[in-house]
Amino acid sequence: MLQVRASLTAGLHQVLATIVKTEDIKAEGLGPARIPIWNREGDVNSAELAISSLLIDGPYNGRVPQNSPSRQRIFVCLPRAESRAQPASAREDTRRSSPELDATEGGCATKILSTLARRAYRRQVTSDDVQTLMGFFQRARANGDFDDGIRAALERLLTSPDFLFRIEADPNALPAGTAYRLSDVELASRLSFFLWSSIPDDELLDLAIRGRLRDAGLLDQQVRRMLAEPRARGALVDNFFGQWLQTRNVWRLTPDANTKFPWFDDNLRSAIVRETELFLDDQLRADRGIAELLTSDSTFLNEQLARHYGIAGVYGSHFRRVTLTDENRWGLLGKASVLAVTSYPTRTSPTIRGKWLLENILAAPVPPPPPNANTNLDESKIGKSTTVREMLEQHRANPVCASCHARMDPLGFSLENFDAVGQWRSMDGDSAINATGVLLDGTKVDGPAALRRALVAQKQQFVRTVTGKLLTYAIGRQMESADAPAIRGIVRAAAADDYRWSSTILAIVKSPPFQMRRSRS
Amino acid sequence: MIVTKKAISRRTVLRGMGTAVALPLLDAMIPALVAQVNTPAKAVRRLGVVYHPNGVIYENWLPKGAGRDFVLSRTLAPLEPFRNQLIVVTGLSSHQAEALGDGGGDHSRASGSYLTGVHVKKSDSVVENGMSMDQIAAKALEKETQLSSLQLTADDNSLVGSCDVGYSCAYSSTLSWRTPTLPLMAENNPRIVFERLFGSSDSTGAGVRASRLRQDRSILDSVTSRVKQLQQKLGPSDTTKLSDYLESLRDTERRIQKAEEQRTKEGPDVDRPSGVPDGFEPHVQLLYDLQVLAYQADLTRVITFMYGREQTGRPYPQIGIPEPHHPLTHHQNDAAKMEKCTKIQLYHVALFAAYLEKLRATPDGDGSLLDHVMLLYGGGISNSDRHTHGPLPTLLAGGGAGAFKGGRHVVYPDDTPLTNLQLTLLNRLGVPAERLGDSTGQFTELSEL
Repeated sequence: MLQVRASLTAGLHQVLATIVKTEDIKAEGLGPARIPIWNREGDVNSAELAISSLLIDGPYNGRVPQNSPSRQRIFVCLPRAESRAQPASAREDTRRSSPELDATEGGCATKILSTLARRAYRRQVTSDDVQTLMGFFQRARANGDFDDGIRAALERLLTSPDFLFRIEADPNALPAGTAYRLSDVELASRLSFFLWSSIPDDELLDLAIRGRLRDAGLLDQQVRRMLAEPRARGALVDNFFGQWLQTRNVWRLTPDANTKFPWFDDNLRSAIVRETELFLDDQLRADRGIAELLTSDSTFLNEQLARHYGIAGVYGSHFRRVTLTDENRWGLLGKASVLAVTSYPTRTSPTIRGKWLLENILAAPVPPPPPNANTNLDESKIGKSTTVREMLEQHRANPVCASCHARMDPLGFSLENFDAVGQWRSMDGDSAINATGVLLDGTKVDGPAALRRALVAQKQQFVRTVTGKLLTYAIGRQMESADAPAIRGIVRAAAADDYRWSSTILAIVKSPPFQMRRSRS
Repeated sequence: MIVTKKAISRRTVLRGMGTAVALPLLDAMIPALVAQVNTPAKAVRRLGVVYHPNGVIYENWLPKGAGRDFVLSRTLAPLEPFRNQLIVVTGLSSHQAEALGDGGGDHSRASGSYLTGVHVKKSDSVVENGMSMDQIAAKALEKETQLSSLQLTADDNSLVGSCDVGYSCAYSSTLSWRTPTLPLMAENNPRIVFERLFGSSDSTGAGVRASRLRQDRSILDSVTSRVKQLQQKLGPSDTTKLSDYLESLRDTERRIQKAEEQRTKEGPDVDRPSGVPDGFEPHVQLLYDLQVLAYQADLTRVITFMYGREQTGRPYPQIGIPEPHHPLTHHQNDAAKMEKCTKIQLYHVALFAAYLEKLRATPDGDGSLLDHVMLLYGGGISNSDRHTHGPLPTLLAGGGAGAFKGGRHVVYPDDTPLTNLQLTLLNRLGVPAERLGDSTGQFTELSEL
């Protein structure tokens, strides 16, 4: 247990902790904070040094900073007295952000709070809104200073349902079930939560409030502007792809690190997440066609992950672009993240992988097992006298099971060359891997590359699936059969451009399900 | 966690849990706390639920013999010192956790329906269950304490996403449902639990706290009226979410009210834990310590605690079991695997026994905390290999302030609803209830000899 106290200025700082390398060191650093500690329970009585946690606390009797990035964003105005009270250096700092000076505190507080409320509520503020917040300002100001007043009003603002909920209220007196166009302001929120997972910025909100968002060319221009910001890619990678591909679940995986995969540590876990993030970010940044998710021979590796994949010549912990020579690794189906989240801790599951392919690549989900089906298989002989493939024959023996498993298992078999943590293998225990699989239409494929080629041959199908998933994400509700024409329309609109991300996203934004809503009962 | 006198600044003793947990928390703390606890004139009954995931090896769990004449099994042996305040209840099952047409997902249903007796809705986005038994108790008892209830877990606590075939993580990550659509997140970080109990403000001055409370209250009133205004504008399907928000606002309101009543009371001289300790055992011990503390200071009377989520793959290398838990429990009658499962269950019971010992060592009213609590210890899966939901491994520990006569193994006919026991607990707790989920009646045998 080491304690260090340091004097720091207000604002963002990067804090690093590391152990000077000795031979006793465990791996190469601290797992990211997102890794749940309950997955880190390692070897006991280990003499190895490791950093288990880092806690930052304070400030200890720190002065309230007169200036910091967050204060600059809140205090767009300062009352005259307040600005005089500041030391010369702080005045200099604040001049950079040039808050307006207002003679009266009340006028200044109104300016600050209406600016914040407009942003937080994502709409034009009403006089009711401002009055409510000013009430909190005044009561707290009576017992404290200007800052205390602003703080109290901010607390009220941040607990408001107007901030916490995205409210799309039906226009008055509309019969239930009537389709109607969203207001520009509602559309702006839909857009920013779709592309940024956050609130509209001033430019977008200004246009919406002025009712000009749907003017010719303006919507296109706004979508392109928003997509060009790095945070759009960050939000889509984390939230859309993470949920669609289920790669978020990598953080929850518990591969059998003690007997089967002893090298599966937190660094490898982070690396397989990072690879997928960088790959997707690159696809979006370069504005590739959707099908390249499956066909791209480009990925991002560091030394540990390259070794995991059996790729030589990659050194060091930083990630760099690598062109994959083995076509089995191309695209999403060769990513350890996808392969691991569709496996059990100790072995692969062709059933789960087949189900994943049906739901996420082919949009042909399978129903859950029927009531009273015995879903347990005899696994005792796996790795000894039986392969996973042979064990799953039990599914075929029972007609009730076979009705669905005949679709799932044969698809999943074609990925059997990848083990439960996404490593390439040609043997499973004592048996050679048999990676022959069968597609829904009866096409036979042998191995991951053949599966991919077969899926790409039906590119339209894949593009439709991704479009449907993206639209679901964009409007936050399940697709219904009535949405099918809209999806086909989006796909058609993006076809001329080989289904590039920007074209698909633009077409989604312009589609009726995104632009409209149906009034409720 | 460390106990200090006020003279020493809390800041100067802030430490990481890695080194600090080894200290005997409660012994050091009792002198500092006792004076502040308003010892209730009448013994207070409290409810606790401890849940262990992934079923049991039933034959190693089941005691031999019945009635007063029984021998604790190998798995339950650590509870021998508490035999007089222990009732083993067998024959119960959780019918609502069965598939009933929904296919796979036995793990999620087991924990999801454990305290509700309701067949949960199969969905990984829109959750639906019943109000859980602990929350029924919490609602009835909440006027007495600052917190209506506490939910704790030593595992991942996410309520969103899919954790099982088509089931939301909410079903496996918590036992507590405030409303049929509002699962309560179980907290795993001892620091946050501590702050919920004692507040996060570093200032304990009564004046500061009073003005803080006044402000909290006016914010709450103002937000509540705005929520009601919005509710009128929205259709019924949209108002559920807002109602749930209103419900959590009401809970906050009540907490503030309670805190106002007690604002002259000094905060305890206890230091905040700094985070989640490394390793399962110190983590569980600390979460148990916080439960003792919460009961002792009468901050809440209702607690649920989970050793882990259903289907957890936690390995237990510290007791010689490096394999992940859940796959092991599908043992297919392999003797070596069953032995390992038994060892894990024994380990959980031993940690529970240590908790009982702390409760017994903590004076409360005319006896000890153990004399006054009612603890339900069990899980929603019996045979883990086959995902059966009966006969469930179920224990009652603690005296319940005279509500129970311990030292017995009470055997009910097979397939008696688990909810009958929980309904009995509610009534004995002083919370009149006639039905809970699929219950068919109350037990009279538990309080009689």
